Amino acid sequence: MDQDTPQHEKEMDSYTQEVLERGVSRRSFLSRTALGAAGVGLLGVAGLGTKKAEAAQGTEALEFAKSSDGGATLSFLPKPNPISDKEIKTTLTFDVIVVGAGASGVPAALSAAENGAKVAVIQKHPMPISQGNTGSGIDLATSEKAGIEALVAKLMADNNHRCNPALLRQWAYNSGEAVRWVINRAKQAGSPVVDQGTGPQHGIAKVNGYTLNYVTSFFGPKPYTAGDGMRHLAKTAEKAGVKFFFNMPAQQLVQSKSGEVVGVIAKGRDGKYTKFLAKKGVILATGDYQNNEAMCNYFIPDLKHFGRKQMDRTGDGFAMAYWAGGVIEPIGHTKMLHDFDAGPASMCDMPFLAVNREGKRFVNETVDMSLFNNYLRDAKNAGHYSQIFDANYMTQAAKWPGKLVPPEGLKNYMPDDPSPKKGVFDSLINTHVADTLEELARKLEIDPKNFVASVKRYNEVVASGKDSDFGKPADRLIPVLQAPFYGIHRRVRVSTICSGILVNENHQALDADGKPIKGLYAIGNLGGGFYGGVDYPLTVFGLSLGRCYTFGYLTGKHVAKL
Amino acid sequence: MKNNIKQRRGFRFAPALVALVIGICAGGVYAAHAADAKGGDLGKLHASAGVACAMCHVDAKHPAPVPMEKCLGCHGDTRKLAEKTANVKPRNPHENRHYGTEADCNICHHQHKKSENFCLPCHQPFNFDVP
Ligand SMILES: Cc1cc2nc3c(=O)[nH]c(=O)nc-3n(C[C@H](O)[C@H](O)[C@H](O)COP(=O)(O)OP(=O)(O)OC[C@H]3O[C@@H](n4cnc5c(N)ncnc54)[C@H](O)[C@@H]3O)c2cc1C
Repeated sequence: MDQDTPQHEKEMDSYTQEVLERGVSRRSFLSRTALGAAGVGLLGVAGLGTKKAEAAQGTEALEFAKSSDGGATLSFLPKPNPISDKEIKTTLTFDVIVVGAGASGVPAALSAAENGAKVAVIQKHPMPISQGNTGSGIDLATSEKAGIEALVAKLMADNNHRCNPALLRQWAYNSGEAVRWVINRAKQAGSPVVDQGTGPQHGIAKVNGYTLNYVTSFFGPKPYTAGDGMRHLAKTAEKAGVKFFFNMPAQQLVQSKSGEVVGVIAKGRDGKYTKFLAKKGVILATGDYQNNEAMCNYFIPDLKHFGRKQMDRTGDGFAMAYWAGGVIEPIGHTKMLHDFDAGPASMCDMPFLAVNREGKRFVNETVDMSLFNNYLRDAKNAGHYSQIFDANYMTQAAKWPGKLVPPEGLKNYMPDDPSPKKGVFDSLINTHVADTLEELARKLEIDPKNFVASVKRYNEVVASGKDSDFGKPADRLIPVLQAPFYGIHRRVRVSTICSGILVNENHQALDADGKPIKGLYAIGNLGGGFYGGVDYPLTVFGLSLGRCYTFGYLTGKHVAKL
Repeated sequence: MKNNIKQRRGFRFAPALVALVIGICAGGVYAAHAADAKGGDLGKLHASAGVACAMCHVDAKHPAPVPMEKCLGCHGDTRKLAEKTANVKPRNPHENRHYGTEADCNICHHQHKKSENFCLPCHQPFNFDVP
């Protein structure tokens, strides 16, 4: 190792070093495994005698990826079957190929086109697809530098210090410009997007006493989302010359003999292949892998029993980058699970009594909704819980952080109420009201007996003024006594997984030696290094989309200018 | 470097092993499909209407995956289909935010296993009966 260590590896930051050491890549497996017991163990399990093993030694490259200790065959990362030139229907050449038309891909394509490149976007779906409403950036002109650094430090802590600080800083110092640009360009195509500024970020308008201001794009209200926003942005991109190819999932990368990524092969609805050649680079923006069950079970088994909010995110970009020599961040990926739809989003973190599907209290309710998933991972609860309050909530919870919606407004979230709904997804609302606790339990689909007992116990705790069961502060204890009783039945599901491929500050994928892979870039949730905690932090509201826009904007520009 | 090559050798047997495993799985899956087809799903309906295996799968002995275009060849444009189902309650299953009118038929309508309501896991009120 010593004398082989390239110079640049010695200067590497600790995040990159760590991922190179423990991440999953082709080389990490090949070099690490056969060394010791792990390799021998696998031979044993396979039941192959030494002779047979030797006989098989001549066979060329592996068919599946391997875990970094060599112990597991990663069937979710199968080696792509070679596609011969004969099978290619059409070959098209562009400067930049973007794979995936979502929150990072569409901005990347437009940004590359505005910087003079001829750009193609290959998209799996029949149209650009993304999700969410809020994306955020920092307004540099009106923020103190110490504030920006304080926020970066706060995000580092949110990420359990397991991320690449350089990438956080890159978001911090470029996001205002990028988010503003997204707003402007989406508006050009008629999007109703607005800049909400620092409004939604009131909790971080000051960090450690330093002032910050924000640019907060809001693609909404629902049912309008960032998906519609990206469709608007794509119209602007088309005007700028970007060519979109829909219903065309990318299948594999095209590499030169030296390993440079020179293109992508995609498959059309007719089953035929198109080869897209890229003169400057391929930007992978295929999102996460939440719909790839085996891959989730391997990298983030916590998700086993949770529902999914997205579709068709099978980790295609991970497989492509892996086989091109890229490195996947080590096991223990960061997850994002929410339910902002069942009831008002502004009440989701308010510490009302919360019960699980069995009707039992399970947590100190001052824990954020975004972390509740950690208490509801089992097959029975599978992310379901209900927030419970009584007729007096408007007065008794008036001083809590968050924003209470009065009873009249709650009707907008009640599927059983005939009122017309506004600004919500009708099929996802799940708030209920009832005159008895038993009836409420029925509506919330929880065990009435347990529920009534839990409420009784909770009321005793409240009356005593001390939460001897979970330690919730006294000023967050209000009783559930007076009808009508309310319940918001939330079901947190996987919004996204936000760990990815190891990249440098140009968002170029690195190989297992830490060297940039020529021609290959990864952005959005496919890009690694930006998170690292158990859960996605909600410190900056809309950080995820803000980061996708920002890195799309920067990477498009960078690759176009090569 | 030398070390690296030596390490590689230890695992060269893997493809053979993997091929074996796939062989077994493929056999199992095929058998399961065949049984389901007898159970009266869409594949059987097609067969009883005179659609021979090869009309979709090219070669009945070595069935190729069926691209969606094959479905459209007989059933026509999905936009027309969406018009026909415009009044289905609680909403039109063939026009939605996720795929427009171009969802792949096979996400719900399976041929050799039970069809599924792909909307349901997220949108519980969308309780369609899926043929
Ligand atoms: C319901 C919901 C609400 C959310 N709300 C917010 C919010 O308010 N604020 C926030 O910051 N974040 C939010 N998020 C998270 C945020 O939406 C994601 O982090 C973000 O969209 C990720 O962007 P991306 O570009 O990585 O992937 P996506 O936006 O998911 O785009 C990936 C694209 O790649 C395409 N693709 C996949 N595979 C292939 C292939 N093989 N070939 C070609 N194309 C392919 C897909 O079709 C898709 O369009 C929310 C997520 C969900 C699910």
